[in-house]
Amino acid sequence: MNLNFDEFQKTNLSYKELDNIRTKNFKKFETLGFPTKKQENWKYTDLKNIINNNFENLQIFKDKNNSSYNNKLLIKNFEHNRIILLNGNFIESNFSFEDEKKIIIKSLKIALEEKKEFEKIKNYFEDDQNSMISLNHALVNDGIIFEIDNNYSFNKPLIIYNFFDEAADNKIINNKVFISLGENSNLSLVDFYKCENIFKYFNNTIHNYTIKKNAVLKKFSINASLDSSYNYNLTKVKSYSNSIFENFLLSLGPSLIKNEVHCNLLENYSSCFLNGIMLLNGDQHHELKTNVNHKYENCKSSQLIKSVLLDKSNGTYQGKIYVDKKAQKTNGYQLSKALILSESSEFNSKPELEIYADDVKCSHGSTIGNIDENSIFYLMSRGLTRQQANKMIVEGFLNEVIETITEPNIKKLISQLFIERINKANV
Amino acid sequence: MLDISNLSASIEGKKILKNFDLKIKPGEIHAIMGPNGSGKSTLANILSGRKGYEIEGKAFYEGKNLLEIPIEERAQKGIFLAFQYPIEIPGVNTNIFLKTSLNTIRKFRGLKELDSLDFLKLVREKSKNLKIQEKILSRQLNVGFSGGEKKKNEILQMTLLEPKLAILDETDSGLDIDALKIVSDGVNSLRNKNRSFLIITHYQRLLDYIKPDFVHVLVNGKIVKTGNSDLARELEKDGYEGVTETK
Repeated sequence: MNLNFDEFQKTNLSYKELDNIRTKNFKKFETLGFPTKKQENWKYTDLKNIINNNFENLQIFKDKNNSSYNNKLLIKNFEHNRIILLNGNFIESNFSFEDEKKIIIKSLKIALEEKKEFEKIKNYFEDDQNSMISLNHALVNDGIIFEIDNNYSFNKPLIIYNFFDEAADNKIINNKVFISLGENSNLSLVDFYKCENIFKYFNNTIHNYTIKKNAVLKKFSINASLDSSYNYNLTKVKSYSNSIFENFLLSLGPSLIKNEVHCNLLENYSSCFLNGIMLLNGDQHHELKTNVNHKYENCKSSQLIKSVLLDKSNGTYQGKIYVDKKAQKTNGYQLSKALILSESSEFNSKPELEIYADDVKCSHGSTIGNIDENSIFYLMSRGLTRQQANKMIVEGFLNEVIETITEPNIKKLISQLFIERINKANV
Repeated sequence: MLDISNLSASIEGKKILKNFDLKIKPGEIHAIMGPNGSGKSTLANILSGRKGYEIEGKAFYEGKNLLEIPIEERAQKGIFLAFQYPIEIPGVNTNIFLKTSLNTIRKFRGLKELDSLDFLKLVREKSKNLKIQEKILSRQLNVGFSGGEKKKNEILQMTLLEPKLAILDETDSGLDIDALKIVSDGVNSLRNKNRSFLIITHYQRLLDYIKPDFVHVLVNGKIVKTGNSDLARELEKDGYEGVTETK
């Protein structure tokens, strides 16, 4: 693999400060390379190996001049606002259900072109030991900056469509999304990934969220229709006083995805809830790594992840709860349950608790097992075939997490995608 | 209907049923009573197809070799087992389970599958008779059900599926007197000249409500005594040892 950074640099030349950041970070990436299993955080997802095995000649993505998307791909019978990203590039937005004066939406590409704008987000380009972050800093070419004013609650959910087309084939796409919610604001966000055809690409994307005092962000990550893609999605959240961040992750589609969610509970009474399901078959390899940092008193976090593995699939949950010595009265919880339905599938679960405060309530649990034969017998004794019984149990097992979704329309959408998938997966 | 002869069953080398014989004709109610560990549940398990037993001997159901019929086909062909310990299945909605089961069996019997409306009407009517609160049917299957609710749910399934041979494995254990009455009424309402019952119990109490045609005493994997419903009363009075010694 040979990423041509010089060519990229020539076509993306701007002011010195940004050029230097890009150069410095690319050098860092070149030194470190793609992460391997030798790094603790990548122990279960050897990215270097996966890329070498699946891409012969991965290239840096180049913008297309003509960017139109297929509007038939938009979700129907579901009132929503939308932002469209095509191959990571911001294409359009539509906030017809909202008071647009309360919203700012900008293309990251345009923001990067202006030094004044760049100053505002410069802090987000800090050094990191994670070479995927260095790579993203070096090669980021677009994305969005999206800000919601104080005291504004969205009337309808927002769907960020992440579409990919043939221009992505065999490319690595690096983008960033910035979302900030003002005080007392409220947004339900569906981060929806879709690639119509089978194009093989790598998407390296970093989301940065800021959730101010009393604000509520509910995010639903859906990657049901991304068949042959490879993804690293990193989300970093800063949560301020009394705010709520919820993230439901429906991990079904891609060949490879490593979802990494870092929640920083920075002020009193902020909370985060990370729930998700993985349903994997074939050669799929999915990982969810969470990092919940309790940095202040009285914060709450909860994680519930359920996984089902078929065929030769490989799933991982690495869930970490860190409690700072300042963070007394922390309430942290995590539970991972996995069903392994084939001898060739694999699931790794690594719960980590790192606690420096003495007055905290933290618990974790992790189970990996097969379907209970007594349950199968019970259902079969009622006339169901083994296959029907298996499917009913698996569906029920995963459904418990879907039941936690409190937005009825989004729950319906997610249930539909889940049912389609389970019918296809040959459980 | 059911013809078992010389049936022996062992699990992990331990022989539980020994040269067991039993014949049940259509319309008959048979009760099997016996002390703990006598093989009562093993019999129920084997008849409904649970794996894990080494079986010798013969069992015919409607003239066919029952031991060769797969579990789900036994159910489809009309064998129903009310479990002693109904299984909790998290995440599976009780109503959806009941509907799937009923429609699978209706399909097998060449009946039209019920749509959601017809199904709900039916299940409401049946659960009302059993005094089952409708809201428990929208809960997860047996999860968080009380002992009585679980047993009533078994009987509800039986009344929905209308089996030809119903096996009740200690359905009375864990039931209070009111629930016992309701469950018995449910069983009695299903009695007819074609439907047979095999009722496995420790106590005579249930047999006060459901009057059996035959009572068998099972000890150490073998029927040691057979009589009519009076035998159950003797057992209650004299205990298993008393009855088996007098034979």
